[in-house]
Amino acid sequence: MRALIHTITARIRAFLRPADLESDFDQELASHLAMAEEDGRRRGLSPAEARRAARVQLGGMMQLRQSWRETSGVTWFDGFALDARLGLRMLRRSWGLTLAGGLAMTIVITIAAVVFVFLDEFMGRTAPPLDEGERIVAIQSWDADAHRRREVPQRDLERWGQTLRSVEELGGFQTIERRSIVEGRPAEWVRVAEMTASGFRLARVAPLLGRWFDQSDEQLWATPVVVIGHDVWQSRFASDGTVIGTTMRIGDTFHTIIGVMPEKFAFPVNHRYWIPLRPDPGASLKAAPEVVVFARLADGVSIDGAQAELATIGLLPPTTLSATADTRRARVVPYTFAFTDDVEQGELAWQQRIILLLVTLLLVPPCLNIAILIYARTVTRQEEFAARFALGASRARIVAQLCVEVLVLSSVAGIIALAIARPILVEIGDIIRRFPDLGGSLPFWITFGFSWRAALFVAALSVVAALIAGLIPALQATGRVLPNALRTLGSRTGIPLGATWTALIVAQVALALAALPSTIELAWGHLRPAVLGPGFAAHEYLTARIVVDPEQAPAAAADLPAVANRVRAIQADVVRQIESDLGASAVTFVGALPGAEPMTLIEMEEGAANDRRVRRYVRANQVDRAFFDVFKVSASAGRTLDERDFSGMTTAVVDETFVRQVIGDGNPIGRRIRPAPARSGDTETEAGPWFEIVGVVPDRPANTSQGRMYVAAQPGAPMATGAIQLALHAGRDPAAMSRRLQEIGTNLDTLLRLDDVRRLDEVHAEAQMSGNLTSYALAIVTFSVLVLSAAGLYALMSFTVTLQRREIGIRTALGARQGRLLASVFARAMWQIAAGVGVGVSIALFLHQRMNIEVEGGWHIPGILPAAALFIMTIGLLAAAGPARRATRVDPTEALKNG
Amino acid sequence: MSDSESSILQGTLDLMVLKTLEHLGPLHGYGIALRIAQVGEKALIVNQGTVYLCLVRLVQKKWISAEWGLSENNRKAKFYSLTKAGKKQLQAETENWERVAGVMGRVLNPQTGS
Repeated sequence: MRALIHTITARIRAFLRPADLESDFDQELASHLAMAEEDGRRRGLSPAEARRAARVQLGGMMQLRQSWRETSGVTWFDGFALDARLGLRMLRRSWGLTLAGGLAMTIVITIAAVVFVFLDEFMGRTAPPLDEGERIVAIQSWDADAHRRREVPQRDLERWGQTLRSVEELGGFQTIERRSIVEGRPAEWVRVAEMTASGFRLARVAPLLGRWFDQSDEQLWATPVVVIGHDVWQSRFASDGTVIGTTMRIGDTFHTIIGVMPEKFAFPVNHRYWIPLRPDPGASLKAAPEVVVFARLADGVSIDGAQAELATIGLLPPTTLSATADTRRARVVPYTFAFTDDVEQGELAWQQRIILLLVTLLLVPPCLNIAILIYARTVTRQEEFAARFALGASRARIVAQLCVEVLVLSSVAGIIALAIARPILVEIGDIIRRFPDLGGSLPFWITFGFSWRAALFVAALSVVAALIAGLIPALQATGRVLPNALRTLGSRTGIPLGATWTALIVAQVALALAALPSTIELAWGHLRPAVLGPGFAAHEYLTARIVVDPEQAPAAAADLPAVANRVRAIQADVVRQIESDLGASAVTFVGALPGAEPMTLIEMEEGAANDRRVRRYVRANQVDRAFFDVFKVSASAGRTLDERDFSGMTTAVVDETFVRQVIGDGNPIGRRIRPAPARSGDTETEAGPWFEIVGVVPDRPANTSQGRMYVAAQPGAPMATGAIQLALHAGRDPAAMSRRLQEIGTNLDTLLRLDDVRRLDEVHAEAQMSGNLTSYALAIVTFSVLVLSAAGLYALMSFTVTLQRREIGIRTALGARQGRLLASVFARAMWQIAAGVGVGVSIALFLHQRMNIEVEGGWHIPGILPAAALFIMTIGLLAAAGPARRATRVDPTEALKNG
Repeated sequence: MSDSESSILQGTLDLMVLKTLEHLGPLHGYGIALRIAQVGEKALIVNQGTVYLCLVRLVQKKWISAEWGLSENNRKAKFYSLTKAGKKQLQAETENWERVAGVMGRVLNPQTGS
């Protein structure tokens, strides 16, 4: 086996550099002839006789050279080029196969390429784009028992800095969020890297203006300094060349600007502000990824070498735990790996391999379909192969030819996939960056760019696709064709399409039908919001997020009421300011914005006679008194929430979709619902309190798939612990109000942070982004499955018609009617379509019963299953129609003459 | 080829080349071809060119390695030598050959075979 691998490798090398090898062989032969001539002369032959004798002993030069070329692998190229040319010609001739197969392969390879780039960039496989970025590492405290990263005590960081010789520029950073104030500009909340000075030296990027900070700036008594990024310099300081030495406020402290970093510099993650990390031996840096200890490997030291040294130094015993309970160890990992989950490197590698394997397996269904088409085409080419076989081509040679033909198709698919994956990645990158929570912290090395590794992966996928789609039919077809090659040459009574292929076509129709109803419902569920719109003027509403400053958040439960009171006061002040501008009550505070409410599992209490409880996922929201007025929602049954409901929190209002999905035809008023007990991983939540439904309101927005329930929020309370949303009806000019809202945010009490001011329709668009992408992906996959099913049936029919040409000719000559001819040609295809539809309907019914499509984000469409079955049958009939028509036009004289 | 001349069995030449290299050490193609012709005397007719095809196959399998050097007459020549994998292969093939030859001997001469 090893010898075989060596041989293949050597042949590939020979194929890649044939000129070098040929010249080497020429020199060797020349040396051989010269030595043989010398021997001849020594034996007393004349120079001419010695030369002739040497050549005779060596054998025919031309033949020897050709044999050597074949043995060494140099001739592979000639054969490959010829097969590739044949492949291109076949692509042009079989355009149906080219289009259907190429489309399916392109879709799958594109999806695989995008997944690969994501794995590469998000799973710590790329080095940061810095000078010798691959030598930058992270050092972590890893708790093997708990399987998680732990905080790194600063005293360990200090000790490592003093003792480790295998790494240089050891340091660390943590991200903090602070309000930044520059004179003459509105305040804004920014993410600041509190970093050791070594970070700049490690990154090896010189400042554009001024200087980096150094160790003297890290001293507790040193003047606070800040280094700013290029875009901050442009946007906040108008690219002022004299910015160095001026001050800006970060949090409550004034900092002197000492440097401006060049464009695109964002080390350590995605930062634009850097301040020195002051040493505090008693403190700890949080666990990654919030905090990372970084270093650069010393010259000539590998990551294993650094790990070995670190293992001898380790971590100091913890101050709070007993030494025996300490299961932490220090580990060195590549820098970008520090930003992945709590995993070991080996585990991550396995995860990546499994994902890549699954992605590669996506190729199997389309490639099997293509294999059917290729097989159908191959058996109709039996005369060509028989002739080649008779002329001395081996079976392997013909199999190779067929594989190369399919490789041409899969390579074209790969090239197109490469071309379209790039803009798709750029688009996905833009979408992600638009999400404020995610985009703001996206690491600088994640560029959604195409690497040579991704290109290699695509090339490998093209080869795998060619092997699946080409090798199986090639082996099957040549296995049947070649033994009978000479016998069948000149005859049209060919080989039947085997039972395997028939089963594959049935399976394919069944699969297409089984998946179609659920896929359409899912796609429609995701696409519906964008198509139908929210049903109210969402663009007239402004929203903002309000969060308590994490530094001032209540540390103990006892502090909560005081903070809540303060929040309430600020909240009232915000409302007063907005209302004085608008002149009307138009502000509401809610737990979540309409259209972006979290999903909650609820259960409904049935009547006493029936103890069974209906459970259902719905969207739940906490709203204040003003909510229904601000969104102009009035009750269609019962009432909305009022004063009575805000004291006890035992009532709820639901929307019409909720009534349809959860209650059905009964009267909802007076029914009781509660959050159901649920289990998530190891944690189990208990059932919530019962809420009595007191009213039903129209859907707001009208385009989501799940029902909603609204319960009363206690003013101020949720804010003290987490984020709350503000929404206001700004009328026809939300832009002016948006500026006013930002201004209010700038001057707000430092306890609260008001940001992310956006229109509600923008919030909806963002929330629907992933839904839209899912819909498009589902639509593309469904479309390609349908195209392939149709192409498979078309190939089957074409194949059947070609094989029955002679029989059809005889029957036509004997006066058979066209209708009967059509029926006999259709019979086989119809049987397969009917079998496929039967199996497909059974699976679809099963799937429909097992899967709650609305929980998955879909939308139930009545009668979808029979409609899908009818659709698949129509597609099957249309695919079969063309070849069937050809059958009725068979000229009996021609058919009998040629057949 | 006349009936008195023996054609060479497929794979046998590989064994001969490996054995030659084991016996004589690093050697160029011409030397290997001469040695095989010498040992085979008139009984074995091998085109010298065939040896080069065999050498290519053995190098590809990494059973022998090749290196340019100078011949005894100070001429540039490619020298082949046995690798570790080649030695193992030679041992395996020799044992196999001896077993087959033994069986053939017993089949052809049943009286002496027992």
